[in-house]
Amino acid sequence: MTKMTRRQALGTIGGAAAASALPALPAMAADRTIRHFWWGNPERDRRTFEVIDVFQKNHSGVEVSGETIGWGDYWTKMATQTAGRNMADLVQMDYRFLFEYVRRGALQPLDDHIGNGLDLSNFDAGPLSGGVVDGKLYALNIGSNSQVVPFNTRLFEEAGIDADVINWTRAEFADACEQVATNTNAKGADDFSLMIEYMEAWARQEGRDFYDADGNVTATADDVAGYWAYWGDMRDAGIVMDKNHTVILDKPMSEWGLVTGESAMSPCWSNQLVAVQGLVTDTIGAAMVAHKEGGTGWGQFIKPSMFMSLTRDAKDVEAAIMYMNDWINNPEATAILGLERGIPANPVVREALAPGFTPPEKLSVDYFNAIQDKVGPLPVPAPKGAGEVRDAFMRIGTDVVLGNMDAAEAAGIFIEDAQSIVDRAR
Amino acid sequence: MKRFFKRNAPAYVFLTPWFIGFFLLALGPILASLYLSFTRYDMVADPRWVGLDNYEYMFERDRRFWKALEVTFTYVALAVPARLAMALGVAMLLDKGLRTIGLYRAIFYLPSLLGSSIAIAILWRQLFAADGVVNQVLAKFGIEGAAWISDPDTSLYTLVVLAMWQFGSPMLIFLAGLRGIPRDLYEAAEIDGTSKPRQFFRITLPLLAPVIFFNLVLQTIEAFKTFSSAFIISNGTGAPADSLLFYTVYLFNEAFKFFRMGYASALAWVLLLIIGFFTAVTFFTSKYWVHYENERD
Repeated sequence: MTKMTRRQALGTIGGAAAASALPALPAMAADRTIRHFWWGNPERDRRTFEVIDVFQKNHSGVEVSGETIGWGDYWTKMATQTAGRNMADLVQMDYRFLFEYVRRGALQPLDDHIGNGLDLSNFDAGPLSGGVVDGKLYALNIGSNSQVVPFNTRLFEEAGIDADVINWTRAEFADACEQVATNTNAKGADDFSLMIEYMEAWARQEGRDFYDADGNVTATADDVAGYWAYWGDMRDAGIVMDKNHTVILDKPMSEWGLVTGESAMSPCWSNQLVAVQGLVTDTIGAAMVAHKEGGTGWGQFIKPSMFMSLTRDAKDVEAAIMYMNDWINNPEATAILGLERGIPANPVVREALAPGFTPPEKLSVDYFNAIQDKVGPLPVPAPKGAGEVRDAFMRIGTDVVLGNMDAAEAAGIFIEDAQSIVDRAR
Repeated sequence: MKRFFKRNAPAYVFLTPWFIGFFLLALGPILASLYLSFTRYDMVADPRWVGLDNYEYMFERDRRFWKALEVTFTYVALAVPARLAMALGVAMLLDKGLRTIGLYRAIFYLPSLLGSSIAIAILWRQLFAADGVVNQVLAKFGIEGAAWISDPDTSLYTLVVLAMWQFGSPMLIFLAGLRGIPRDLYEAAEIDGTSKPRQFFRITLPLLAPVIFFNLVLQTIEAFKTFSSAFIISNGTGAPADSLLFYTVYLFNEAFKFFRMGYASALAWVLLLIIGFFTAVTFFTSKYWVHYENERD
């Protein structure tokens, strides 16, 4: 350790004492470690480890150990660590699981740290409120996104489509699919039949969220049947991808129709646009999920794509908050993170990033700005069992896609199953 | 008692590592899972005692449990005989005095080493995909193949074929068994002019019965436990339309996807009872069809 002058030492101590009422730990203790756990992909992991390096450089004495794993195994590992009382200090959190973890007492509220280590003065109010549970802030938004339907601009041009892809209707979307299928050698789109998020958007356009605040299923069998019938008609007309492509579930991005060139549109989340463009040689554009003609509600909403949460098992809370604060405020860190996790909720950060945007990054920000007044409010968080409902939707939907069951009958069974799944999970 | 220990002491000394492993690593979790099967446990909150609720739900209300049983039983009924027949057939082909026989045995054993691996399951998915190799070959003969994996009517059979292909370990055991059959029996049969099929049914099969019995028990247990291939090929969900919902895949999903550890433990115990039951039945019937050479009756 380098020697401090008397003045520096006094300054440090004085600063620490003035800064907070927390136990004044020596700023240079070398044995402080925090663990950060996130679900990732190679690109995200690279950026995150780079931020960790920057943080460690700026805060010598604090060591950050990063742990990363794919989405599929993340929640298994998280549950195991929670059961073993061995959670990382900071974990990446998803809106769908947030309430579950808060109610089980696995997370700590952040309210006491606001203005006291955690600077949220620039933060947008909307994204911030997504992390509030029972009146307390349990999760810090580290990016927002929304649904998007990226499309191949070359195929659209060849097919002669001039639709307004932000404001288009269900019928216009179907027309576009038909034009692509007729005028090019690709299909119009992947078949969305097994993607529950798009059925939920459909139901919201009909005026209903899928779940109400008590966690009951409020979407009706008619909503689901209408959705499946809409896609069934396009499948029968041969203008979307065929059943064999559709029933292979959770395909990696490299097998999406848009990426293989077999179709002109594959839906995803707006923070994935950059990754999708990376795999497609043609330029992609960004369309909204088609709206209902004269619909009573917006289908899409702005979703907090990821949160960071402080866990019950955190040992060095002060260091963890320091790290968290760097993530959202330190320009060095935010420049590295970019838009990879979604659109940052800090306007200062967004402004600083803008000049350096690559075309797909610019596309995602422009898209994000364009949809602002065409989205509905954030729905209540899904109840326990929502993951299982998603599985049931894909399972029963497979029978519809394969033609083993008609849409109306299957929709009735699905809604009934969905309600009994959430009942059982209570 | 004393004599027993004196005589067997060395054996127990050699078994110590296994005993330590069993008591420390296996017995505890086994007992814990029995306890958990009577609770509701999501791994975050503490387990809550619910008595027989899990078992009641399983038998009375859980449609997917019955579906999983149906899939698993169908698989066991098809895959075990298919694999044993394949293993016996190949073993008989290899039971010759060829000089390169060692090489062939190694080659035929290879699929069993690879078969349970993740890579083969992924390869299988590619082979039987709608535009996979199998259909491309069929197309050469003008046959339009099915979408094997993504069609619920055929997906299970692709796994039966995979199981058949992994005949290596029962084959080795059959080979050893075939070696144990005295050659002079066949010579005597030849002299009497007995046909080859008759030799097979009258000499080979009866004398091989203990080995068949052994393989049958092991392979049945193995088949009930099939997991990784089904998990990979169905993307971990039992898809399409639950046609690959093997019991173990269902159990895994209940435990590690939906965090119903209590219910999953109950499922595990029911599987244990099912396997125990079938093993017991096999043992019980064996006295009618398995005869040992040194028995005199």
